[in-house]
Amino acid sequence: MNKPKIATDWMCGCAGCHMSLLDMDERILKIVELADLRSSPITDLKEPDKSGVDVGVLEGGINNSANEEVAHKMRQRAKILVALGDCAVFGGVPAMRNFCGVEVALQRAYVEAESNEPGSQIPNDPELAAMTKARAIQEVVQVDYNVPGCPPDADVIFHVLSELAQGRKPELKDELLHWH
Amino acid sequence: MVQLTINGKQIEAPEGTTVLRAAELAGIHIPTLCNHKELTPYGGCRLCIVEVEGMRVPMASCTLPVGKGMVIRTETSEIRKSREFILSMLFSERNHFCPFCQVSGGDCELQNAAYHEEMTHWPIQPGWNNYKVDTTHPYFVLDNNRCILCRRCTRACGELVGNFTLSVAERGAASMIVADTDVPLGESTCIKCGTCVQVCPTGALIDRTSAYQAHDDQLDEIKSVCIGCSVGCSIKIMVRDNRIIRIEGDWESQVNQGLLCEHGRYDPITESRRRITTPQIRKNGKLEPVSWEEALSTVADKIQSLAASKHGIAAIASTRLTAETLAVFKDLFVDKLHGTSVTSIEEGAPTASVTRFAENHEAFEGKLDILRNADTVLCIGANINRSHMVAGFMFKRNLSKGTRLINIDPESSELDYLANIALKTKPGSDLALIKGLQAIIVREGLGRSPLKLTDAGKLIKEAVSASGISHEELLQTAQLLAHSISPVILFGKGVTAQRDEKLIEEIYHLAVLIGAVDDERHGLLSIKGESNSLVATLLGMDTAFTLDGQQAVYIALGDDYVSKSLMERLSKSPYLVAQTCYESRLTEQADVILPVTIWAEQEGHYINLDGRTQAAQKAIDPPEGVRDNVSVLNEIATRAKMTIQPDWHKAILARKSSVALN
Repeated sequence: MNKPKIATDWMCGCAGCHMSLLDMDERILKIVELADLRSSPITDLKEPDKSGVDVGVLEGGINNSANEEVAHKMRQRAKILVALGDCAVFGGVPAMRNFCGVEVALQRAYVEAESNEPGSQIPNDPELAAMTKARAIQEVVQVDYNVPGCPPDADVIFHVLSELAQGRKPELKDELLHWH
Repeated sequence: MVQLTINGKQIEAPEGTTVLRAAELAGIHIPTLCNHKELTPYGGCRLCIVEVEGMRVPMASCTLPVGKGMVIRTETSEIRKSREFILSMLFSERNHFCPFCQVSGGDCELQNAAYHEEMTHWPIQPGWNNYKVDTTHPYFVLDNNRCILCRRCTRACGELVGNFTLSVAERGAASMIVADTDVPLGESTCIKCGTCVQVCPTGALIDRTSAYQAHDDQLDEIKSVCIGCSVGCSIKIMVRDNRIIRIEGDWESQVNQGLLCEHGRYDPITESRRRITTPQIRKNGKLEPVSWEEALSTVADKIQSLAASKHGIAAIASTRLTAETLAVFKDLFVDKLHGTSVTSIEEGAPTASVTRFAENHEAFEGKLDILRNADTVLCIGANINRSHMVAGFMFKRNLSKGTRLINIDPESSELDYLANIALKTKPGSDLALIKGLQAIIVREGLGRSPLKLTDAGKLIKEAVSASGISHEELLQTAQLLAHSISPVILFGKGVTAQRDEKLIEEIYHLAVLIGAVDDERHGLLSIKGESNSLVATLLGMDTAFTLDGQQAVYIALGDDYVSKSLMERLSKSPYLVAQTCYESRLTEQADVILPVTIWAEQEGHYINLDGRTQAAQKAIDPPEGVRDNVSVLNEIATRAKMTIQPDWHKAILARKSSVALN
């Protein structure tokens, strides 16, 4: 099988970009015709092949050590890395916590928020990933194509994947370019 | 004309034009953010850079005048790269979160510029600094996070409005848009005209009421005329789903050139009075909903029965109504019903004296344009900073450039702070003062044309003693006026409400004496009152409203307000018919209420203070049950078996106008 391999994963996002990917509907079959959809968070295989893939797609920004691992792994294994959606491209909504810092955000979320039980604490299991500033992917690893949008439309995702699968550079402009 | 080449295209542009403007005229798009056609070029954002053959570096086309034989390129790869870099820097400087910004998706000039360069991202992330969001203003929000420091707002505030509230504090990256000396906007000297919001290219200044209501391409734009006052500004009513989302000034307008005031832009949006949608008749002391048929027949029967009697009916109409409505109103109540005391709710206070003076001096007033070019403005009894604000902008913005202002008003106003000379006269002393000014100009030999005066010395003395103004101040005022090249005299209700034709005549003589009025110049203007003041006075509806035994009063109020003093008089009427839109102290006392359309629900004509006939358009549909002002009057006439002459054009020609009509 000579079809290019595609792998996706998500990090600090809302899964909305993957929902938008599914919104391609029957056009997913067209992508499957053109490419070998390998791993993704919504299929059985979760990690990109060790032997490498042609296109790696990452949704979400990077806000902890686990995200960093995912990003590095995908960068190492993918020839072309695509940052999908505003969180991946700009940091997006999670990046707003950068204004106050991690500590204040955690305190607010786990202790002060009205919905918390009295005496709630910030989770401190050593197994948990270490929180960092919320960042765009390009701040951590090199990105080949930034695909903005919150989320990018199915049309945009279809355009990007089908172009890449056919060995072309996806061009985003006019109707296909929006950041919101 | 200068010949130059842009992108290989030979074009011609008038000398002194900027390259940006020349390109625009030739249909070549150069992206820009800080440039605005009504503002002085500033060269702040650098987005409009172009390559000029023979020049070492790219030039900002907005501040570069066209030169003979210039060869310019706007889309080279170098220029495109530079533009993308400039945009990247603008995005990285502060916090631009497109997904949740009101203007994202077509209405943001910054985002559109980035899309134009096909930018999918920007390479440098922001510094995550929190910038101030000022939410203290009643109508809009200033979010410095989204500001790109293009200074359109500060320039509009100063150059166009002449208010100079907004400015930039600090330097470099610390630069920030501030109000006055960095006070909250809501506590600043802002006059709430909203021009800054209209020019802001990003979401840094957004309208509280219209934010997140619609994108511009979801709005219907209806070009109409503001009926807030007699200036008659051209407006764009932005409508979605039969709701007015926002009102904008029309940049193409000859009258206001894009500017509006608080009243024009925000009053219709913040309207909170309760609408009436069912005709009502008072039965056994209580207002009860009735059918239109019953209401109209009741009114028709009533007025028909009173038509013959001598003190039958009085009638009073708002000057916010269309010319069509006022003409029908006048025809019905004056010509057909022979009502006594048929007038407007302004009772001619802003217009009657000038119109009477016009009987012998037709069209003695000038046009609004004179205010833009005046080097000295003598403002008498007109707080133009409060009423007719946009007319005030026309000279206020020039005060910093050397235009002088003399304000004569017994009442204190903001104009006093702006004036070179502020004369606080004693009330009622205007006539003496004007004659004193004439006399001192004549005696000093400063007049531009001869004026015969019997005893100048005596007139000056009288002016000093009557007005409480010192001889020295009087002389200074006279000198300032007489040494002006293009003086303008502007007067308002403080003068006209005295109903003294003689006072108008003396102001006219003063205008001739100082050269404000001659064969070529018409530098004399009264600001009048509400939107159709002039039409009302031309129809003869400009007398005082006094009731002496009339058995009924018909008031066509529309969406206007009733003053306390008028209400006191109206409450003495044994029978009161109110043609109105909203619940008010009038409807509490009315015997019949006929619910009608508001300004934006009807079409019709208005003649503004300088004689321009303008058409107001219907922007939204009225609520069910409400009828149009003209049709209600027509229906009553029909039921009373009278035929109305509806030609308002003809009707207003009955009297001579103080200003040329066009």
